[in-house]
Amino acid sequence: MKHISSKPFPYYVGIYSLEELINKDTRVCVINILGSESKKVTPVSHEYSGGNIVAGVQYGRTGVLETKIGDIPVFKSIREVMRAGINFDTGVVYLPPTAVCQAVSELIQYNNNLKTIILVTEKISTKDSMMIRYMAQEASVDVIGANCLGVANVWDTIRVGGALGGDKPGETLKKGSIAVHSNSGNFTTTISEYLRTSGFGVSSAVSSGKDIYIHFALPEFLFAAQNDPRTKAIALYVEPGGYYEKIALDMIRDRKFSFTKPIVVCVTGRWKKDLTRSVGHAGALAGGGDDALSKEKWFDEYFGVPVFNPDKPEVSKLGVRISSIQDFPKAMKAVYDKIDEKPDFESSGDLSLKLWLSDGFFKLPKDLDLPVVKALSPYDEQIKEINKHIGATYLRQNMRNKSGASRMDAKTQVTEIHGKTVLELSKLTIEEMVYFNIAKILPEKSQIDTINLLLNLLLKVDKEKMQAKEYAKQHGASPNAYLAAPLLTIGNNEYIKKTKRYSTMIINLIREHGIDEKTKEYPAEVIKFIEKEFFSKQAVEENPLGTYLLDHVKGTKTKNEAVLLAQFIIKLSEDKKSQIKDKFEFMLAALSLSLFWKPMLEKRISRETCEDALAYFYVIANLVAFSVIDKNKNKYWQELTQMKPSKSTESFTNNIFKILFNREPSDIELTELKYLIGLTLSNGPGTISAKGAKESVSAKNYIPTAFAGFMLNTGFAHGGNGFEAVDFLLQKFDKKTLKNPGDKNHSIDLENIATDTSKKYIEFKKNSKESGNLSYAKIPCINHPVFKGKDVNYDPREQFVSKELTDKGIYNVFLDFYHKLVISLFHEGATKNIFCVNVDAVISVIALKLLWNDYVNNKISDLDMQEIVFILFLLGRAVGVTSEIIDHRSRGTDMDCRTPQSELSFVL
Amino acid sequence: MQISGLRYGSKLFDLVEFPYAKNLSGGATKEDIEELMKPTGKIVVKPYFAGGVGKKGKAGLVRIAKSVDEALKAKEDLYFATHKHGNKSIKANGVVFEEFVPTDSDMEIYFSITDSTSIRKAIFTLAIEGGVDIEDLPAEKKAIIPIDPLIGIKSFDITNALNDLGCPEQYVSPLVQHLPKLWDLYDNYGVSTLELNPIRMKQNGKSYLPVACDLKAAFDQDNPDYKRIGLPQSIFIGETTKFESEINKLRTYQGQSDVVEMNPKGSIIPFMFGGGANSAATETLGTKAIFASDFGGNPPYEKMYEISKIVFNHFYDHASVILIIGGKANNTDIYVTFKGVFDALRDHIAVNGKKPIYTVIGRGGPNLIQGMFYAKDILDTLKLPYKMFGYDTSMIQTLEYAKRIDDYWLKEGREIYTKNYM
Repeated sequence: MKHISSKPFPYYVGIYSLEELINKDTRVCVINILGSESKKVTPVSHEYSGGNIVAGVQYGRTGVLETKIGDIPVFKSIREVMRAGINFDTGVVYLPPTAVCQAVSELIQYNNNLKTIILVTEKISTKDSMMIRYMAQEASVDVIGANCLGVANVWDTIRVGGALGGDKPGETLKKGSIAVHSNSGNFTTTISEYLRTSGFGVSSAVSSGKDIYIHFALPEFLFAAQNDPRTKAIALYVEPGGYYEKIALDMIRDRKFSFTKPIVVCVTGRWKKDLTRSVGHAGALAGGGDDALSKEKWFDEYFGVPVFNPDKPEVSKLGVRISSIQDFPKAMKAVYDKIDEKPDFESSGDLSLKLWLSDGFFKLPKDLDLPVVKALSPYDEQIKEINKHIGATYLRQNMRNKSGASRMDAKTQVTEIHGKTVLELSKLTIEEMVYFNIAKILPEKSQIDTINLLLNLLLKVDKEKMQAKEYAKQHGASPNAYLAAPLLTIGNNEYIKKTKRYSTMIINLIREHGIDEKTKEYPAEVIKFIEKEFFSKQAVEENPLGTYLLDHVKGTKTKNEAVLLAQFIIKLSEDKKSQIKDKFEFMLAALSLSLFWKPMLEKRISRETCEDALAYFYVIANLVAFSVIDKNKNKYWQELTQMKPSKSTESFTNNIFKILFNREPSDIELTELKYLIGLTLSNGPGTISAKGAKESVSAKNYIPTAFAGFMLNTGFAHGGNGFEAVDFLLQKFDKKTLKNPGDKNHSIDLENIATDTSKKYIEFKKNSKESGNLSYAKIPCINHPVFKGKDVNYDPREQFVSKELTDKGIYNVFLDFYHKLVISLFHEGATKNIFCVNVDAVISVIALKLLWNDYVNNKISDLDMQEIVFILFLLGRAVGVTSEIIDHRSRGTDMDCRTPQSELSFVL
Repeated sequence: MQISGLRYGSKLFDLVEFPYAKNLSGGATKEDIEELMKPTGKIVVKPYFAGGVGKKGKAGLVRIAKSVDEALKAKEDLYFATHKHGNKSIKANGVVFEEFVPTDSDMEIYFSITDSTSIRKAIFTLAIEGGVDIEDLPAEKKAIIPIDPLIGIKSFDITNALNDLGCPEQYVSPLVQHLPKLWDLYDNYGVSTLELNPIRMKQNGKSYLPVACDLKAAFDQDNPDYKRIGLPQSIFIGETTKFESEINKLRTYQGQSDVVEMNPKGSIIPFMFGGGANSAATETLGTKAIFASDFGGNPPYEKMYEISKIVFNHFYDHASVILIIGGKANNTDIYVTFKGVFDALRDHIAVNGKKPIYTVIGRGGPNLIQGMFYAKDILDTLKLPYKMFGYDTSMIQTLEYAKRIDDYWLKEGREIYTKNYM
């Protein structure tokens, strides 16, 4: 039997000295170079190593990987790299596990000069590892890994493979005389870091991986370390499983090769002895005699001294075993003393407990209480800088067709916003819905008055904006367009700009000066800043609303840093008899911060969202004001849009009703309005209404313009066939006979109308088919593409609302009719099964019920009725789209809604 | 993922037509048992354990019954038998009745295939003393032969090994005919260890037939080929706790879903990052660690959040300390992982309410300070105490400190906190 073998091994090993493993002459090709992990790690390796990556492969693609020191060309395959005349001797594989064996085969087949392959991938099957070993041995190629972080040659500042040393390899990997071999990638770096503190640098570091197959294992590593003139000692980290260490030590004992350098080894994992399943490292499962205890014994016997005791250091010239990785520095020092060698450089610290961050409130007993110390550079500066940051932060990404705010359950068609279904949200007041869509949590009860106060005050709209709306309406614009017109005039007006500026300043002061409830004395520089930025030297015209809000700020029950600082500023102005510059805007900012401070601190919303919160309130409230059908006839509108503080904490939901329906609502009607708004909040990010807003954000528009973007992307096609349902119902119900759609005792024979409708429909259907018209009109709002197929079909959303209404004793004759109609259609043979009444029907029947009385009394026209139904949809969706706008502003990138060229097509 | 015994092992043997002892499930009728006993008047009764459980014979859990009544009595005795296996006691889940395979000599065969770390190849091990622990046999009584991965088990290797071991001539040919088939099983169905112990040589006309009387197989979780066998997934469920199986559902090739529940009554929730940290931290924490984990390998936010959510659902209520421990990460984004953990903590508390808990962190790596401040802001808002150490503190010292905090919390800290801050 012929075996390719070299050196003292019965198998192929190419490396003679660790210096050869990777060095300045190494030229690398990375497979799957543009994969998510490689894209991050490879440029750092390339830059650290002075540009040794000569090519990359991304199957089926070409291009480059940009790095600070130049682009790395990317090819479609190894064959293409070779055809381009690029020479490399080391291949690095970043592919998913099932593809690794193929990549090894490809590297070997196409590159005769290949010396080394580094496999970063974890969870490669043992079968594939076996084949990789077989192929590499046949081809005389060394393999490092798999499941490893590669190799570093610190003397040559070269790192190949994974991310040894992290994103700043130079920080940890200092040139020195220790060769590191570790079963753990992380510990390869951590051990180097620990050794550095006591003056030991690294010659080469090998992250061996800890799969069952370790291709560059301890025997060959020790052989190469012995032949490496840079290396004086070895640091090893070993886990249970496998006989690699025993074989290495046996080879030394049997003098298969000469080995004279000391080893400090840490073996961990005694606890893994009885496990039957691996955790962490696949190969770290002990079998018969390769558990941690056995491995400790192998080394102890080799060293001839017991495990290292840091208090009574005893080592041999062969080295010592340590029980914990924290003993590496001390044990290595003891070993160097023993062999009369000096550390590589001055020690730079120790590994004692150094507390970087601590809570400032819970007192621990003396023995546990540690002082906070300055973090090592550059982290100390980072701590200082980052202390200013507050609120949620998101990774910027392409948000086209994505949302972190809403999602629709494909099965139930129920959309969730921030984890709550629109059905749940329908039970809230509209002011709570508005708050929730911004804050992602429900407001505290004590905050409701403030929310209403702000929303109601912001109902004030100026004449010019209303003129823009009226002008558009007069010229036949649809409701979405005539509501967008005044929205577009908001731009980034002074209200929005100033409140944001004050919010920003308040947050900065709190964060930079650590202001909190314990702050008794405000620093002089804070006071100076307040006097400069918040107070006016000139006389300021008295603003009664500003004064009204100031009292509200003073008396608010919400206690947080923002409120405390605002209260301090008010007090300071009173004490110093100074006038606050923009009292109204400052107070708006303070109240807005008081509402959104907690979700910002809890990292639910970003700082920017917190600062912008008032802008969202402003748009929603303005939109409600724009929605009035006839402002001249609506006394409620006239009163509510005057920004009078008298009724300012009334429910915003009430006020919406009054503006839309021009009358006082009953409790039942308010409940119905909440369902109307709640159910239309969102149908997920895929709706074109949401897309309109997202695309506008993507184009970097101001907040009000993004809302206009949503408006401009809605139209008559919206609301499913809800508007048709209104029309359909008007044909079925006579305004003379139906006085009150909410009265169960209506004395109308609904079943008779249903049967009649069904029969007529069958006739109509038959005639249509006979005349060849297969796209004949269907009865609106019954059936649904997702919920069909069963004998009796339900739309779960409709079921939910119907039940809620029934439980509350709310009757709706139109809904009752719809339920009877679907049964009748089945009994009369018009449908093969019982169709569902869908959620659009619910919206239509509620809207129709709310408008019926005015319709019967000819107070509103058919057109008005249609417009109100449309506007209700727009208002609901505007509240819901707030969350999409915020989400896209927080996560998206500029122009991310563009469609890639590859997805475009030209149609003849 | 392991199986033992013939109840499901027979499914494997059928794949490669390797003979095995006929067997019946515990619910077999008297008539079926009688039928199985007919040729020899004997029947073997074994308890059935989910997962891979060996050394049943040594533990006195294998009975040879000579009558139906004896068989039924054995069934009664063994049905809920408990077997100490590794560090766990496992309860039987019924019994299996197996054909008693007669043999004209006392010889039993041991055969196994596995991957050897000594020679870094697949090997087969053959001995003609079955039913014993192979590790206990001296080297000269077993043959360990490398397998060529392209050809598989070579017949002549078996012939030579059997001859060297002194196998009676009449058995050699049947074994040479049948044993190589087992490579197909090993190589094509995601098996990582296959052990037939014992194989008995049953007379078959003028010749002999090797009959497998027990099997132990381990499957490579990273090789999906095992799914082709069609074994019910439920037979592996017994190997994992509810917590482990919930986490395992998130398993991808990028890792982060390996957890082993160590002590569900422990008091430290340890988020360990890196295989090394997993090993060192579990060792240092001892019984305080609720589980051992390795969430390293740069987990994406969504995964870290889901993992943390599961962890808090299971253990937040009774734990004293949340520990995040790892060395200086190479490529794991600290900010992303901390965001996942502490968002999940915040959301858990929002739904289930706050319980006193102390957080200790020892970590280094990319975006470290951003990550620490993310944790700090959430913990400050939740008014929960914490200590955070950088990577210039020994990981082991941080672990020891966490243990001391845990002791204090259990002794009085929790109570003091509850009194003042709940």
